[in-house]
Amino acid sequence: MTGITRRSFWRIAGLTLATAVAIVGSAAFAEGEKIAVITPYLSQPGTQFYVEAFQARAKELGWEVNIIDTAGDVAAVISRMEDVSAQGVNAIVLNVDPAQVGAGLDAAVAANIPVFGMDAGADPRIKANITSNGYAMAAETSVYVANRIGGAGAVVMFVFDAFPPVQVRGAVADAVFKNHPDITVLDRVTPDVSDGGIADSRAKMEAILAANPEPGSIKAVWAAWDQPALGALQAIEAAGRQGEGIVITGIDANPQARDAIAADGNFEASVAQDFQGIGSTTADTVARVLGGETLKANVIYVPTKLITSSNAKD
Amino acid sequence: MASFLRHYGSLIGMAAIVVFFWIALPDTFMTLRNWLNISQQLSMLIVVAVTMTVVMVMGDFDLSVGAMASLSGVVAAVLFAQGLPVPVALAVALAVGLLGGIANGVLVSLIGILPFVATLATMTMFSGAAFLVSGGKTIFGRDIPQEFADFARSGLPLGTWGGNLVVLPALTLVAAVVTLLVWIVLEHTIYGRRLYAIGGNADAARLAGVKVAQLRLSAFAFTGMGAALAGIMYASRVASANPVQGDGLMLTAIAAVFLGMTATRDGQPNVLATVAGVVTLGVMDNGLTQLQVDSYVRQVLVGAIILLAVSISALGRRAIRLR
Repeated sequence: MTGITRRSFWRIAGLTLATAVAIVGSAAFAEGEKIAVITPYLSQPGTQFYVEAFQARAKELGWEVNIIDTAGDVAAVISRMEDVSAQGVNAIVLNVDPAQVGAGLDAAVAANIPVFGMDAGADPRIKANITSNGYAMAAETSVYVANRIGGAGAVVMFVFDAFPPVQVRGAVADAVFKNHPDITVLDRVTPDVSDGGIADSRAKMEAILAANPEPGSIKAVWAAWDQPALGALQAIEAAGRQGEGIVITGIDANPQARDAIAADGNFEASVAQDFQGIGSTTADTVARVLGGETLKANVIYVPTKLITSSNAKD
Repeated sequence: MASFLRHYGSLIGMAAIVVFFWIALPDTFMTLRNWLNISQQLSMLIVVAVTMTVVMVMGDFDLSVGAMASLSGVVAAVLFAQGLPVPVALAVALAVGLLGGIANGVLVSLIGILPFVATLATMTMFSGAAFLVSGGKTIFGRDIPQEFADFARSGLPLGTWGGNLVVLPALTLVAAVVTLLVWIVLEHTIYGRRLYAIGGNADAARLAGVKVAQLRLSAFAFTGMGAALAGIMYASRVASANPVQGDGLMLTAIAAVFLGMTATRDGQPNVLATVAGVVTLGVMDNGLTQLQVDSYVRQVLVGAIILLAVSISALGRRAIRLR
């Protein structure tokens, strides 16, 4: 090897090694309980909120938290669960449907490491799943609709029964509307969600509006999540029927929905999940179990909040 | 010194990575259980990378393997949901891979499109087909037969070790069988040697009587089948299928083949070197996760290691030339 190439070789090698050692060294010799948080969805806004809240609470508790993002790769979640089980962390926090990572849960159970769900789903191998109560969220908005229309009139529902967490919401709204004898469900629409759900919901709502041209023939639109509510709002405004007082509600209170609600138009209410609360409650729950407590309930609900024009911008 | 580095630099580097983790993680890294875990985690990537090696020895490559893995996974899952028996569904999914591979082969060898362009286009088509077949949804739960999900968790019992039952994972076995088959084909058949001849000099090979077009076409069929098999393995491991889950396999597989090439005597792709490349990448993921290194830092480090390996190889080659 010539002098130049040898020098440049050692320079590259040395730099890389120094970087590696510095990074690894700072992480490897820390104290405190070791908690691994594993998610394929860190780039999604909701996930970031609860991961940050979890980290803040964990810092107060003096934990060493390792956030592992597999960038959408669910098989890699299983792999990382196996890795941290071999490493011997004190607890694993998951943010993915447990039905897809059964092999990873088996590894954690075999290593005697408690696993917690942060808005993940229930599984016997998970100590507790900390999430929002879908039944309660749907009850909030469907009762809001029933009260606003005085318990009488035609309601259009947007549902999605193929996805269990959303199916639950539709079932609750069905029960609430059924309990009011003068409320009729004009249509129970399942929109095509492959484009995000707004465009197809708008098209469906336009068809329903065309079929029911008389003012007052549609009193309200209840949507199981925000996108169909936004699509219905667009359809109503495009048809020039925003003056009829059609009440629209959604669920999740995403930023676009909050804007629409704050504008004081037909979109009147949605329900916000407390993502920060889910994160910090997950940390508290991990602390309880590490402290030796046995949990009775394996699902822990964090309260949600009804969003209307009075608090949409909070 | 130069030729020593050129020939053994990468292997020494790979070994150094293993030794580093062994020292940093004395209790949990160099254990049979951890290595069986790693082998299982890497099984899908090994199948894709090893079959990718078949086209890479000819100097071609296949960008559509990740999309094909996604497609075969959702095809199998949709057929499960229709109530078809597991073997039938799997046979159809593999057939999809074979047909996709042959389509790539026809485009590259008979029509004469550059592999980069041809497989970029089929990648888009396979990915679109995966969304079409699945309706854009993740297929999981009751639609996935228990026996299929159980396959990825099963294995060959090896005996007991420290009171625990040690099992050779089924996915590892599949990857080992595929590796063995491809190794035999490439290294110990006339067919394989001819593929290497095409990679050395396609014109010379043609003049020597090698049927270049047919061989190139058939090599892409291997890669398509391998991708489909990996997609099925992935679906079994996560007991579900969605239209993008295999997409990440493509770039990592190509990286692994390149990393492996730095470890071979002549700088050519080679099945066992590819496996060494895959294992290096997998060991980095496993070890850095155990050391609690941030996942984004981990990505940067993995890229840096690939560059380092390729740099050493390139510098070594230049030094030999200058001498």
